[in-house]
Order: sequence, then structure tokens, then C-alpha cells
Amino acid sequence: MTAAKLEVQNVTKIFGGLTAVRDFSIVVETGQLQGLIGPNGAGKTTCFNLLTGVYRPDAGKILLNGKRIDGRRPSSITSSGIARTFQNIRLFRDLTVLDNVRVACHLRARHTLVGALLRLPNHYRDEAHIRAHSIRLLERFGLLDRSEELAGNLPYGDQRRLEIARALATDPKILLLDEPAAGMNPAEKIALKELIRQLLKDFPVGILLIEHDMDVVMDLCDRITVLDYGQIIATGKPEEIQCDEKVIEAYLGCPAHSVEEAVQKDLERGTDV
Amino acid sequence: MIRSIFAPLMVLLIAIGVHGLVGRYDDGYWINQLTIIGIAIILAVSLNIVNGFTGQFSIGHAGFLSLGGYLAGSLLYYGSVMFFQTRPEPGFFSFTQPFDRMDPTIVWWGIGDLFFLCVCLSAGLFAAVAGLIVGLPSLRLRGDYLAIVTVGFGEIVRILIESSQRQVPLSRLNRADGWDLVTGWGSAMGFNYIPKFGSLFWVYLFVGITILTAIRLKYSTHGRAYLSIREDEIAAEAMGVRSTRYKIQAFVISAFFAGIAGALTASSQGTINATELAFMKSLEIVVIVVLGGMGSVSGAVLAAVVLTYLPELLQAETFARYRLILYALVLIFVMILRPRGLMGTREVWDVFRRRRGVQG
Ligand SMILES: Nc1ncnc2c1ncn2[C@@H]1O[C@H](COP(=O)(O)OP(=O)(O)OP(=O)(O)O)[C@@H](O)[C@H]1O
Ligand SMILES: [Mg+2]
Repeated sequence: MTAAKLEVQNVTKIFGGLTAVRDFSIVVETGQLQGLIGPNGAGKTTCFNLLTGVYRPDAGKILLNGKRIDGRRPSSITSSGIARTFQNIRLFRDLTVLDNVRVACHLRARHTLVGALLRLPNHYRDEAHIRAHSIRLLERFGLLDRSEELAGNLPYGDQRRLEIARALATDPKILLLDEPAAGMNPAEKIALKELIRQLLKDFPVGILLIEHDMDVVMDLCDRITVLDYGQIIATGKPEEIQCDEKVIEAYLGCPAHSVEEAVQKDLERGTDV
Repeated sequence: MIRSIFAPLMVLLIAIGVHGLVGRYDDGYWINQLTIIGIAIILAVSLNIVNGFTGQFSIGHAGFLSLGGYLAGSLLYYGSVMFFQTRPEPGFFSFTQPFDRMDPTIVWWGIGDLFFLCVCLSAGLFAAVAGLIVGLPSLRLRGDYLAIVTVGFGEIVRILIESSQRQVPLSRLNRADGWDLVTGWGSAMGFNYIPKFGSLFWVYLFVGITILTAIRLKYSTHGRAYLSIREDEIAAEAMGVRSTRYKIQAFVISAFFAGIAGALTASSQGTINATELAFMKSLEIVVIVVLGGMGSVSGAVLAAVVLTYLPELLQAETFARYRLILYALVLIFVMILRPRGLMGTREVWDVFRRRRGVQG
């Protein structure tokens, strides 16, 4: 297994008059778990959309293992090894849980359309392989007993986990998680933290995590980048971030004495989906 | 290997069975009805691949039907004289009338049947090329806007055909040049005297192939990619599904079978008229698909049978008068009460297994 490296160099994205992201740079490597935080509207999700090709950067470069991926289609970026989850859950609601994951295994299939229509041997081989892989993933995420249910009927927490399972099914080198804990209850959050830690051990990925829940972020991440009004205002270890004046100011809108208040305010703002 | 071939064999046997049984006993009424129903099934199932599987909204299916029908018509009418000097006699499997009217010297299988098969495939390919062209806007347009483009396509096809030259009579065929034949699509009078090859055998052979294609597509990696685009195109792309490619593919496959339905229409009725295949015809197919269920193959089949045979059961004339009102009402109620159609994406067998959604 060769290590993968995602390099983002001075990426900027402008919507009309609004600079949603300015001069954003970050490096994520296999085995790392980095956090991306910031107040609402700071540009975090826009960063993910830039990394996955939903938006094209107005300036800057994005490289995966030294190869430029900015400007490519989202599907092509996924096939080169970046997968994501969505803040406002985007499951295939009318498909079963199993099919959600199987769609994401799509890139593993080698057979052509003709192979599928004539039911050639390679169709059966691929399908069996995809099914087995999907079931393994679902089992790992504790979703196997719901595999025949429609994804839209799952409880919220399960939907969030299914999103992660689905993203992993694309065999990513870099995994982008957009607020995976949003809407989860405390028990689910604890389980999620454990799950993400375990993922890092079992899969050869680097993870970039957007999360409003400071508890989750501070616990999990080796390194945190803080965005405010589209710009990086701080980056460092969780301890460093917690005491950073600029960060506290950004969160409270005025200088403050403790991060606890910032955290509290953020929690009150609740889940923004 | 066996499971790959079993279903196609069944399709072949069923087509032979329907042809052999219905042709034997009847005065032609059921031959007629089953032909119309079969063609409706092909149209509904194929449109469902675009509207139901990939969630694009096309209301121009009659355009592909017309293109296929006219190409088949002119190939059969002009082509049979050009290639065979005279009309090749249909063999047993292409015999469109009750068997008691059959000439006892009829062959089981002749060159004419092979010719007709080629004509059907050409009609399908011709429509498929048009499908490719109509599919292109679907890459940029969504929902209503794409629907308008497909309506426009259907109307363009109709108007082009209506403004074509008169059909060249066979007696004057040797004096006509190639251009007369290419442009001689019968103007607004329709294209007539098309040799009849479109027997129940061919109709149900293609019904079977269309259904088999749709089902095999649905329960495969490729078909799941279609469904994922319908569910959420952004998420589908994020899972590595090349949405542009699959949307175009769906349009092409769908148009191919509509073109074949056109060939069957032309060669079972002996005539085809673009004026009758206008927007209302497209809408009729959409109603069938919406009623049956967006993405449900068996739903589309059932709805096609019911909605095609219903006018026959009720009094035909009364029904014809209120047909459009009825369709509009059906459409409105289904859209409000069950936006994904009566069956949704489920198949009849899913309901019996009391499970939900797609599986395979
Ligand atoms: N497609 C778009 N067109 C115009 N403006 C946009 C678009 N997407 C995002 N924005 C704007 O860019 C800014 C950053 O949005 P973004 O969604 O990236 O924030 P975020 O950090 O993810 O916030 P949250 O914590 O609420 O999820 C916001 O002001 C938003 O309104
Ligand atoms: Mg966001």
C-alpha cells in the first residue's frame, strides 16, 4: 500500500461578489485525521465541494499524489480516490440500504453494458464480488440487518453511518466527512467517534472531518484547520486551537475567556442541515 | 451459462406460442388487440428506462416511434422492390392474419423474414441515433426544461415528416431516383401500402426482448447507476457514477426500442401516419409509465395492458371523446397521491415477497 497525499494549494472560490473560500491550503495524508472547523457559513462545505469537483476553483491547485485533479468531473475525482459524505444527507432514498452501497461499488465493475444485458460470466463475477463487498461493509457498520430497507426509512443516525459506508465503498484514499455527527444523540456520537478511529486503523485512508461538535473534533483530530469568512485563521494541534485568540474571537464574535462558551454557543445553534 | 440463455429462450418460446395459438383460432380481433397491446408495452417499458430509471422527463417518445416507423415503412415498401424485385412473401412467422387465410404453400421461414428482422433493427438504430442527439441536452437541462426539449423534438419529427414528398407509387419506382425515395415519406397523407410482416411473433419477440433488457438492466451495476442518478445526481457522481454517459445511454436504449415499436406499428397496420403520432401519443405513453410506476418494469407492462385494453372494454367512441380528460385526471391524481406511480420502483414480485425497493 502506497501512502496517498492530497495537497490543496491556495484555492479560491468566488460566488458572485462573495469570496466563499480564499487562499485555502491544506495537506492530508494517509493515516491522518484532520479537522476542518469554523462558524456557520465559513466555507467548509465549499472546500469539500471544491475538492470533489462539484465546484471548479477560481484560483489555486488541487493535487492527489502529485497529479492535478481540479477541473475534473466529480465522478472522475472519485475514481482517482477521493470520497465524501454530505452535510445534508444525500442518500439514494428510494433504493435499499444494500443498493446504496452497491451503487458506490460501481467502479469495481469491469463488465460492459452488453455484458450485463447478455448476462455474460463477467457480469455474474462482478455482481457477486460487489455484493460480497457491500455486505462486508454493511456488517462493519452494523447495518446488515437493515440491508433490504429503503435508505430513506432509516433513522437519522443510521443514515449518517450509511453515508460513510457508501463513501468507503468507492475505495477512497482520502475520505471527506461533512458533519457526520450532526443530528446524532450523545450515545451515537460516542459510537461514531469509536467508528471513525477504527476506520483509520482498518482502511488505508486519510480523513478530513468537518464537525461542529467540538467534543468530537478535539477528541479525534491530530490536527485542526479553522476557517472564518473563507480564510484560514488558525491551524495546529487541538490544544493549540483551543487557546487560539483568533479562533475564540471568530466563534464568539468578540474576545472571550473560555472556549467552553464557544462550544456552548455552537451547540445551541444546533444542527444546520 | 444456463441462466443467461434461459430467459431469452423463454421469450422466443412465448413469442412462438402467442403467434401459434392466437393466429390459429381467430377471426383477427385478438391478433389486432394483442398487437396493439404489445406495441404499447414496448413503448411504455422503453420510456420507463429514461423517465423511470434515470428520472429524466421525456415527453417525446412518439418522435422515436415515428422515425422508426417511417424508416421501416420506406425500407419495406421501397426496399423490398429494390432488393427483391417483388415483395418477398412473408413466411409463417411473419404471417399477420389468421392462419385459415394462409396459402398452404407458405414457407416456415424465408428470406423475407430475415429482411424484416434487419428492417426492425435498422429502425431501432435509426431512432437510437436520434436518441443520442436528444440525449445530449439532458446533460445540461433538468426537469421541465428537458421535457420541453423532448416535446420540441417530437414536434420537429412530426412536422418534418408531414412536409416530406408524396409516396412514390410502385409502378413508377423504376423512374424515380434515390432522392425521391429518401424524401418520399408520404407527406401528411401518411405512408401506406407497407408490406405486412409485423405478426404477433415479431411483436411479442420484441416485447420479450424489451422487458428482458429493462429487467436485466435494472438488476445490474449499470441499471443501479441509472437509478442512483434519478435519486440524486450529485451523490451519484460522488460515488463515481458518470452521470452524463449513463443518461445518454438511457436515451439511446430507450429510443432504440421505440424505433422498433415504430417498425412493428408500420408493418402490422400496413400504414403509419406521423400526424397521429404527435404530442398526444407521447403523453399517452407518459401516462402509462407514470401510472405503472417510475422505474417499475412490471408496473409499466400492467399499465400498458390496462390502459390500452380499457377503451376496448368501454365503448370505444365514448371513450375516445373523453380519453384525454381521463388521461389528464389520471396523471393529476397519480402525481398528487403517488408521485412515483402505483408501483413506485417496486416490481410485482417485490410486493409478493413483501420486501421493498430494488434487489437482485
Ligand atoms: N452555490 C453557491 N452559490 C452562492 N453562494 C454559496 C454557494 N455555496 C455556498 N455559498 C456561500 O458560501 C459561504 C460558505 O458556505 P459553506 O456552505 O461552505 O459554509 P459552511 O462552512 O459549510 O457552513 P455550515 O457550517 O453552515 O455548513 C456561505 O456564505 C454560503 O452562503
Ligand atoms: Mg457546511
